[in-house]
Amino acid sequence: MSSSSDNKNAPEKKSILSEKDKIKQKEFQEEAIEHINALYNYALHLTMNPSDAHDLVQETYLKAYKFFSSFEKGTNCKAWLFKILKNNYINKFRKNAREPGKVDYDLIKDFYHSIKDSQSESEDLNAGYLRSLMHDEVYQAMNSLPEEFKEVIQLCDIEGFTYEEIANMVESPIGTVRSRLYRGRKILRSKLTEFASKYGYNTENEEPGEQ
Amino acid sequence: MNCIQAQALMSAAVDNELSLKEQEGFEKHLLKCPTCFNEFKEAQKTKHIIREKITRFTAPPSLVKSILELCDSHI
Repeated sequence: MSSSSDNKNAPEKKSILSEKDKIKQKEFQEEAIEHINALYNYALHLTMNPSDAHDLVQETYLKAYKFFSSFEKGTNCKAWLFKILKNNYINKFRKNAREPGKVDYDLIKDFYHSIKDSQSESEDLNAGYLRSLMHDEVYQAMNSLPEEFKEVIQLCDIEGFTYEEIANMVESPIGTVRSRLYRGRKILRSKLTEFASKYGYNTENEEPGEQ
Repeated sequence: MNCIQAQALMSAAVDNELSLKEQEGFEKHLLKCPTCFNEFKEAQKTKHIIREKITRFTAPPSLVKSILELCDSHI
């Protein structure tokens, strides 16, 4: 038994960051955390699995914090985080990646199930949302789209990115983004026609006459 | 502008991503082409449905907590 108490204070981690860098980092973190819900949704749609989405978002932030110095204030932080997340996703899941254009209905089914399972664990997953999602025709129509179309529609219509930002994220020219959106919406439209008439979205082009 | 050219601009028109010159040409074409006009309206509606109907999840509190902790450990 040793009489001397071993004072093993963990060595103070010497910060290599200057005060200016620390301020910059803090600013970045405050801005970055605002996008966590958007990133989580994107990750959820990519992975179809809450646990993978959780990991993916966590890794994204870890990477972002590491490279915060390459982030310029005033540029689009959200787009930058999405890009990191997408790259992470590709690196991590490429091996098991679905072929673009192929719909894995089992995966979609699993997605619904795993979301449902996690409902009791996470009070934050809105129960109303979940119930609607299970039967949501729009959601299913979206998910049945070929990956490259679904992706641009998500980024554009749901996340509100500009074409330039999307082109950068999917690493394709803006012309490609344009045509994918065009074709994607066209496919979606045909799938949604029934939905639209059922729920009162007017699919006719003539407005009903006043009289 | 013909229909093929208009179709190439269709999505950008829906998303207000056209240049002024493109916008002008596109609108001119729609005025004389009911087919493209209808297609444009339909594409707008599709975007509207997606925006309105796709459900959004909130990141689980455990995830937010872990990210915030990650923040602190990096400062």
